[in-house]
Amino acid sequence: MMNAMNVPSKRSTLERRLDMLILILFSILFIMCFIDSICSGIFINRKYWYLGLTSDVEDQFNPGNRFLVACLTFLTFVTLFSPIIPISLYVSIEMIKVFQVTQFINKDVKMYHKETNTPALARTSNLNEELGQVEYIFSDKTGTLTRNLMEFFKCSIGGVIYGKGVTEIEKAAARRNGTGIEEMESPAESHEKYFNFDDDRLMRGAWRNEPNPELCKEFFRCLAVCHTVLPEGDELPEKIVYQAASPDEAALVTAAKMFGFFFFRRTPTSIRVRESHVEKIGRMQDVEYEILNVLEFNSTRKRQSVICRYPNGRLVLYCKGADSVIYERLMERHNPFKDTNRDHLEYFGAAGLRTLCLAYRDLDINAYEMWNEKFVQAKSALRDREKKLDEVAELIEKDLILIGSTAIEDKLQEGVPVCIETLAKGGIKIWVLTGDKLETAINIAYACSLMNNGMKQFIINSDTKEIRDVEDRGDALETAQVIERYVAERLNESLRQAVESEQTQTGLELALVIDGRCLMYALDPELRGTLLKLSVMCKAVVCCRVSPLQKAQVTSMIKDGAKKITLSIGDGANDVSMIQAAHIGVGISGLEGMQAVMASDFAIAQFRFLTDLLLVHGRLSYLRISKVVAYFFYKNLMFTLTQFWFNLYTGFSGQRFYDDWFQSLYNVVFTALPVIIVGIFDKDVSITNSRKYPQLYKAGIENIFFRWRILIIWAISAVYQSVILFFFPIKAIEEGKNSSGRMLGLWDAGTMAFTCVVVTVNLRLFLACNFITRWHLISIFGSILAWFIFAFFYSGFRNPLDKQGNIYQVIFVIMGTWYFWYAIVLVPVASLALDFLHEGMRRWFAPYDYHIIQEEEKIKGVERDELLLVESPRQAPEQSLELTGLHGEMSKHTGYSFDSPCFDSFFASQEGVSMSQRSYDIARRASMRVSRRQSSDLGSDSPPPGHNSLI
Amino acid sequence: MVGVIFIPIGILSLLASNRVVEIVHRYDDVCIPAKYSTDKVRFIQSADLSKNCTQTITIPRHMKQPVYVYYELDNYYQNHRRYVKSRSDTQLQNGGVSNTQNCKPEQNLLGNASLPIIPCGLIAWSLFNDTYDFRDGTTKISVNKTGISWKSDREHKFGNVKPENFPNNLNESGVWIGGASLDVNKSLNEDEDLMVWMRTAALPNFRKLYGRIETDLQANTVLNVIIHNQYNTYSFDGKKRLVLSTTSWLGGKNDFLGIAYLAVGSLSIFLALVFLGAHLKNRRSLGDINYLSWNKKQQQNGNTRS
Repeated sequence: MMNAMNVPSKRSTLERRLDMLILILFSILFIMCFIDSICSGIFINRKYWYLGLTSDVEDQFNPGNRFLVACLTFLTFVTLFSPIIPISLYVSIEMIKVFQVTQFINKDVKMYHKETNTPALARTSNLNEELGQVEYIFSDKTGTLTRNLMEFFKCSIGGVIYGKGVTEIEKAAARRNGTGIEEMESPAESHEKYFNFDDDRLMRGAWRNEPNPELCKEFFRCLAVCHTVLPEGDELPEKIVYQAASPDEAALVTAAKMFGFFFFRRTPTSIRVRESHVEKIGRMQDVEYEILNVLEFNSTRKRQSVICRYPNGRLVLYCKGADSVIYERLMERHNPFKDTNRDHLEYFGAAGLRTLCLAYRDLDINAYEMWNEKFVQAKSALRDREKKLDEVAELIEKDLILIGSTAIEDKLQEGVPVCIETLAKGGIKIWVLTGDKLETAINIAYACSLMNNGMKQFIINSDTKEIRDVEDRGDALETAQVIERYVAERLNESLRQAVESEQTQTGLELALVIDGRCLMYALDPELRGTLLKLSVMCKAVVCCRVSPLQKAQVTSMIKDGAKKITLSIGDGANDVSMIQAAHIGVGISGLEGMQAVMASDFAIAQFRFLTDLLLVHGRLSYLRISKVVAYFFYKNLMFTLTQFWFNLYTGFSGQRFYDDWFQSLYNVVFTALPVIIVGIFDKDVSITNSRKYPQLYKAGIENIFFRWRILIIWAISAVYQSVILFFFPIKAIEEGKNSSGRMLGLWDAGTMAFTCVVVTVNLRLFLACNFITRWHLISIFGSILAWFIFAFFYSGFRNPLDKQGNIYQVIFVIMGTWYFWYAIVLVPVASLALDFLHEGMRRWFAPYDYHIIQEEEKIKGVERDELLLVESPRQAPEQSLELTGLHGEMSKHTGYSFDSPCFDSFFASQEGVSMSQRSYDIARRASMRVSRRQSSDLGSDSPPPGHNSLI
Repeated sequence: MVGVIFIPIGILSLLASNRVVEIVHRYDDVCIPAKYSTDKVRFIQSADLSKNCTQTITIPRHMKQPVYVYYELDNYYQNHRRYVKSRSDTQLQNGGVSNTQNCKPEQNLLGNASLPIIPCGLIAWSLFNDTYDFRDGTTKISVNKTGISWKSDREHKFGNVKPENFPNNLNESGVWIGGASLDVNKSLNEDEDLMVWMRTAALPNFRKLYGRIETDLQANTVLNVIIHNQYNTYSFDGKKRLVLSTTSWLGGKNDFLGIAYLAVGSLSIFLALVFLGAHLKNRRSLGDINYLSWNKKQQQNGNTRS
C-alpha cells in the first residue's frame, strides 16, 4: 500500500508525563547530590584526626584537593540516592497493564459479542490509561454507527401514521424524560430484511378498511413502480433479490412487496407487479405497468419520477423525493393533509428516520405527448443534456398530489444512541466523519442523538447554488477561490456567532456540519485556527463527504492543535489513516475486513462496547495507573530523602543509613507487590456505578488524578514523612538507654528507621486505595512480614551478603528494647497523620465525585459486580412511546435523505459491469482528487459501481 | 481513637522520663591548664603532662542504683563513611589478617606489612580513653564496667582475639594523638569499652555507656570525679561531657517519645473535634448525590435562573 502512512508507535500521554516526572526526579537527585558533594568538599578536614586523613588518603577524602573530593563524593551520592529513580516502576506498570489487558479487557463479558463470537481485543497494552482520558471520539459512520442496513420503518399515508416501531433515539428520549414508558414485547422478530414494520391496519390487505384506501393503493403502487431497482432470482416473494443502487430503494420496494404489491419483473419498457387484495381480500393479480419515462434522481433534483401507463390506460406520474422539493411542486388545492404530513415528517426526522415524500399526478394524454416531445429532444441533446433534462422534468413535475411519506430507519448498531449519550455525559465529544452526503450525515447525527433541534447548527456546505454556478463555468481556479472565500466567510461568521452565544450564556448547544470540500480549504493553515476554535466550541461536529486522508487530518488537527486526547473508531480500510492518527485507534472487528483492526490499538465488535471500554476499563486503568505512578513517586522520594537527611549529619560523607541489601530490596521486595495489587484491583466505585454515572469520566479528561497538583501533594507528604521517619527513630534512640543502660548505634537506628519506612509505606496504600480485598491485605501485610523475615535471617547469622557484619544481630538487639516498639507504633501513625488529614478534609469538605458515590454505595449497598462474572448482556425490554413525547421539540428538521452517492449513473453501470469490490485503494485514490467534482462523489464510504474506469 | 491510646502512653513515658535523674557535666573546657588554653591540642598530645583533673558534681535528687555513667561526645562523626567502614568484623571475631582491606589506613603498624594491626581500622584506633574515678568525699565509689556492651556483641561479634601491633595512641608516623592503648593480654570480647565504642553512633552527638555505679546516691552528695582527660577532641572542637543517669522501666531520660506521643495523640483528638464541629456547621449527608459536581452545577444554574 503506497498510501499507507508509517505506523506510528503510540505511547500514552500519561506515560509521556511520567517521563517528565522521571526527569524531575533526576533533577532532584542531582540537586541533592550537588548540595551534598559541595558540602562534603567543605567539610573534609584533617582536624578530624580520627578519620586518619594525614597520609595515604584516597582521593575521595583527601582534604588536599577539595574539588576532587566533591567530584568523587558526587558519584557516591548518585549511587546512594539512586533509589529515587523508580526503575521498577516501568516494570510494574507494564505488568499491571498486561494484566488489565489480558484479564479484564479481553475477557470482559460485557464486551463480548455473542452473535459473532468476538471478544474485545486489546492489541497493545500501552494505551490502557489513555482510554480513561479521551475527550474526542472520531467515528466513522457506515459499519460503525450504522449497520448499513435500511429498514422500512414507518409511513404516513393521507395524514395517518402507520408503524408501531420505536427507534433507538425515541427510546433514549423517553428515558431522558422518564415519560411514556410502557412495557411492550418486542415486535415480531422474523421480519424480512429491509423491512421492520408492523401495523395491523396496513398488513395483509387491512388497508382496505382505512379511511383512505385509494390513497393507500397509490402509496403502494408508487413504491412498487417508482424506482430503479432490478429484481434478480426467482420471481417468488421469498426468493427474489433486489439489486438497488441504494439500500433505501431496496427497502422501499421490499416494503411494497410486503404490503402486497410484489414487483417481480422489469423489462426495458415495463414493470410487472403482483398485486394482492386490490379488488378483494386474498385475490392476486399480475399487473403490468408500462414505464414511459424515468426522470432520474440526482443530487440537485433530489427527487425521482416515473411516468407509467396502467393497463387501463391511466397515465400517472409517480414522484418521490425530498420533502422540500416535493412540497414546492404540490398542487395548491386538493392536498388536505399537507400540514399533517409535514408534522409527521418532522416527527420522523426527529426520530432519526430518513424520509421521502411520495406524490402522484394524473396526466392528460395530450399534455403528456407534448411534454414527451420536449423530453426526447432534451434526451438526445449533445450539449448540456443533463441540464436540459432537468429543465424538462420541471415542466411535468408539478401540481402533484401528496400521497404520504415513508420513513426508513438507517439501522443503527445496537445501542448506539444510548452509548453516545452516555459518552457525551462523560464529557466526551463525538465527531462523525463520514464519506456520506450531508443529509445522510446530519440524519445519522440526529439518529444517534448527537444533534437535536435544540442546537444551533452551522452548516458549511460546498453544494450551494452560488458555488455550483461558478463550477458550471468550469474554471477550476475561480471555483477554488470562490469556495475558499465562502468557507472563510462562513467560518468567521460562525465563530462570531458561537462566541456570541457563549458570552450570552444562552446555554444553546452548537453543532458544526462541514463537508469535505469546504474542509479542504478550512484545513488550510490560515483557516485552521478558526476551524479549531469553532469546532472546539461545538458539542457535535459532523464532517461529511470526507476522504480517508481528511479524516486523519481532522484527527491530527484536534490532537496537535487542541492538545486533547483523541480516539478514532472505524471499521473499514478507509478509516485506517484516521485510526493511526489518533491517540487511540479502535477498530470494529466485524464485517468489513481486517485492515481497521490491524491498524487499531483496540478492537471491539460493536460501537456500544465503547461505553465499557472507556467508562469502565479506561477510567479504571487511568485511575489505577495514576495512583501507581504517584505512589511510586512518593515512596522513592521519601525513601531517598531519609538518606539525604541522614547525610546532613555524617559530614556529607555518603554514608548509607540503611544496609545495602535493605536499600536494594526496598523497591523489589518490600514495597513491590502491594502497589501492583492496587494497580490491578483498585476501583473507586463499582462497575455498575461507573456506567450509571458517566460524569465520573470527566475526571480523566481533566486529568484530575495525575495533575501536578496531585503530585505536589504526594511530594509534600513524602517530605513530611521522610522527616518523621528519619528523626523520630533516631531521636528515640539518641539519648535513650534501654533499661540496662546500653546505647544503640548507627545500624540499629538504620534498621529501626527502615522498619518504620516499610511499615509506613505499605500502610500508606490503605489510605490510597479505595477498595480493599483480601489480596490487598495479603500483599500489604505480606510485604511487612517479608521484611521481618528477611531481617531475622539476614541478621540472624553471619552471612556473605553482609560483608561488614553491620546488621549482624541488630534486629534482635533493637527488638529487645522498648524504643523499637514505641517507634513502630508512633512513627507510622505520625507520618500518616498528614495524609490522613488531607484525605479526610478532601472527603469531608471538598469531596471528589467518586467519594460521594462511594458513600452512596456504602449506604445503599453495592450489587455484586465482579467484572468477569457478568452474565450475557441483558436485553432491555422494548418500550413503546407516545408520539407526543417527541412533538414538543420539533422544528425544521425533517430528515430527508436519499442515499446513493452515484444514483445517476446506476443504469449506465448495469451493462456488463459487475459491482466493484469495496476497496481501500479506490477510496484512497479518490480522496487524492477530492477537489474534482467527479471524485468528490467517490470519496465516500461506498464507492459506487460504475467508476471502475477510474482505477 | 489514636488520641485515646496515644495520650496515656505519652503521659506514662513522660512520667517515667521525669522520674529519671540525669546530671550532665561538661569538662573538656575546664580540664585544661590555663597556660595551654590557647593550644589545647599540644597539651592533649603531649605524653608527659599530667592529664588528671578533679571535678565536683552535686547530686540534686536521690539517685537510685544503678546509676549509669556515660561519656558524651559532640561534633564527633562516628558515622562518617570513611570511619564506619574502617573495621574488619571477620578479624574482630576470628582474628587473622584476612579481610582487613577496609581498615586502611590503620591496617598495618607504621605502614609495615609484616605488622598487621589487630584490631585494625580507624574505629578501634580512635578508641576513647578518658577515665573517671568517683569519690564521695574520700570514699571511692566503684564503677562496674562489666555488662556495658550488648550481649550479642560479646558473644557473636567479638571473638577471643588478642590485640596485636596496636598503634596504642600513635598515628601512622608514630606521633602521640590522644587516643587509647589496648592491653595485649585482654582479648577483644572482654574489652567492653572497645565493644561499646565500636558500635558506632548514628549522629555526631552521641553518648556511650562507661559503667554503672551500683550504689544509691543520696541527694546533695558532693561527688569528686577524678577525670583522666586524655582523649583529643580539641583538634576538632568537640565537647566532652560526663553524664550520670538513672533509668526507669522505659529507659533513660528521654522526653522525646513521650512528647511525640502526646503531640500526635492530642493532635488527633483536636482534629476529631474540628472535624466534628465543621461537620455540624456544614452538614453534608453521606452519599447525597445532590453533591455530585454535575448535580451541583445544575442546581447552581437552576438557582441563577430562578
